[in-house]
Amino acid sequence: MKILVAVKMVTDPNVKVRALTDGTGPDLASVKMAMNPFDEIAVEEAVRLKEAGLATEIVAVSIGPAKASDTLRTALAMGADRGILIRADQAVEPLAVAKLLRAVADEEAPDLVLTGKQAIDDDSNQTGQMLAALLGWGQATFASRVKLGDGTLEVTREVDGGLQTIGLSLPAVVTADLRLNEPRYASLPNIMKAKKKPIAEKSPADYGVSLEPRLRVIRVEEPPTRQAGIKVGSAAELVQRLHNEAGVL
Amino acid sequence: MIHADDGSLSEEQRLMRDSCRSYIDDVVTPFIRANWQREWDMTPGERLSPEILQGAEQIGVRTLGVPEEFGGIDLDRESEVRTFALISEEIARGDSGLSDKLVQNWKVSILLREFAPKHLQAKWFPRLLEDPQFLLAHCLTEPRGASDRWLPYNVPEASMNTRAVLDGDHWVINGRKQFISNGYDASLYVVYANTNPKVGMLQGTSSFLVPRDTPGFTVTKCNETMGCRFMNNGELVFEDCRIPADHLLVKDQAMGSAGQYFRAGKIIQAAKNLGVGVACFERTADYVQNYVQGGRILIKHQAVAIRLADMATRIEAVRALVERASKAVDENHPDADILCNMAKVYASEEIMKVATHALELHGGNGAMLEFGIEKLFRDAAIFLHMDATVDVSNMKIIKNMFPKTAGKYAGPEE
Ligand SMILES: Nc1ncnc2c1ncn2[C@@H]1O[C@H](COP(=O)(O)O)[C@@H](O)[C@H]1O
Repeated sequence: MKILVAVKMVTDPNVKVRALTDGTGPDLASVKMAMNPFDEIAVEEAVRLKEAGLATEIVAVSIGPAKASDTLRTALAMGADRGILIRADQAVEPLAVAKLLRAVADEEAPDLVLTGKQAIDDDSNQTGQMLAALLGWGQATFASRVKLGDGTLEVTREVDGGLQTIGLSLPAVVTADLRLNEPRYASLPNIMKAKKKPIAEKSPADYGVSLEPRLRVIRVEEPPTRQAGIKVGSAAELVQRLHNEAGVL
Repeated sequence: MIHADDGSLSEEQRLMRDSCRSYIDDVVTPFIRANWQREWDMTPGERLSPEILQGAEQIGVRTLGVPEEFGGIDLDRESEVRTFALISEEIARGDSGLSDKLVQNWKVSILLREFAPKHLQAKWFPRLLEDPQFLLAHCLTEPRGASDRWLPYNVPEASMNTRAVLDGDHWVINGRKQFISNGYDASLYVVYANTNPKVGMLQGTSSFLVPRDTPGFTVTKCNETMGCRFMNNGELVFEDCRIPADHLLVKDQAMGSAGQYFRAGKIIQAAKNLGVGVACFERTADYVQNYVQGGRILIKHQAVAIRLADMATRIEAVRALVERASKAVDENHPDADILCNMAKVYASEEIMKVATHALELHGGNGAMLEFGIEKLFRDAAIFLHMDATVDVSNMKIIKNMFPKTAGKYAGPEE
């Protein structure tokens, strides 16, 4: 069984991102980049399926600039077997990503596609769903547990009311939620070994997909800064202020 | 700024650095934060939880330097020392003692890779890889002398007091070693001993491989140190300790061959202290941007702001020298010895100044155990004396530049 995992390079979740002063987007100059955390979980799940003898090959795909090869290399160091980098220097919208992933899926014929539930840069939470629709495959989003049967899949999903368990037949698309697993660190020896694993470089044109944007960003601004706290003299004053000023009592 | 420039690193180096950083941020820093007030009460066994060593195991950082043919990792040799430096810095950003504990394994592994007979490598490297608690130690310093032995003149009086004498097919070692990094915990030791009392230290010192369970070998004490307390420094005694003849690593010329260990070692250690400096800067930058005095966050006070600039400049200057020196070692440049000693001294003195700024910018909080800044200060301070004192390092630098004359005032006039 073959697994395709989609991994996106995003701003490192630990860095504070600022908006450009002209409001056209986030300031990404010299900001540290990393693999989208949900995609690390997706890779980890694929690697665990392989280690359990349930999967035979893991192919990692990333759409992004040349530097996204770091993200693919991380996936290879975690245990993926090979990578595909589809070079795109501009922002790529979820629909275009989904179309590219469909084209890769057509070519690679995986039994399972794993993606993150959302990319933490623009929080779209759309790609996995769009991909399943384009492929006409079943989808299980927000997975917190994945159990592989014989040509079937049982997935527990984190939904608003609690947990929902659904059954799917393969091939299928699964998007990984936070509690699916705890991803491993890429170990230093595996990073050196990953150097020898292949990464194929492609362009969107190779798959006949246009990156023409369909969305327009009107303005990007920072959240309002929090006001400094104040010290109150007594419990009575606290209650009075919560009532009169904060309006929460 | 402050951190290594990504553009100067290979893809693998970046990924390794990132992996180490995640391990440090997720595992080490929380442990250190939870325990820095307990540094003084913990027993040697409690210093560093199993999670920390397990984490180190997961990223594979305990066994760098082990050759690939024995199950280790094949770093690019042309940039091996630079990679070591990068990783050592990253670990020390979390805890400098942890860095000491782990890098000691790399340094000794390099030495074994170069000088141990193959059958002993085949015996010990797999054990090192298998056991997450397996540590290595390098035993040079003695109660009567350490770096002060590196006098500008080579006299028999400066020789090792620990002696090894050949008796049949065994070497018999007698003596003491002190201030040994990992000495308290290690499973395998490289020990230096005098094998020819008639000549100077450089011509009459040999090195031996000594397993911990060898009869006649005793670990007598764990030293309680002012800094780097998560590495257990130990004292060792050899009493008619018999070592099979094949455990001799380098005969008579061991001090010269130890250059392999020392050059990489100085860079790794300087980079470790750089990590302490980076931690000082990160914490202080965070503090001055949040802590309010006189109605303004600290960094708005000009006196505070310019001190932060001074910290940043010193860190960058240390980084530049460490990078130049590590490149020189990797390329086996004729100035490598000088440069790595320069990097060591400079990293010790400049980062001490960085740590002093950090302490002072934290005001009273800087002196409190619960803030952890005093820990960084102590970790920086102990480095002035680790792996040679500042004065001895300077002596080595100048002796290398002016071998005939520098510092020879007290020696016999030639
Ligand atoms: N540029 C990309 N390259 C590879 N995978 C992507 C890309 N964008 C999105 N994905 C995948 O789709 C998931 C959801 O992304 P999104 O719909 O943008 O929130 C991510 O977690 C990735 O697994």
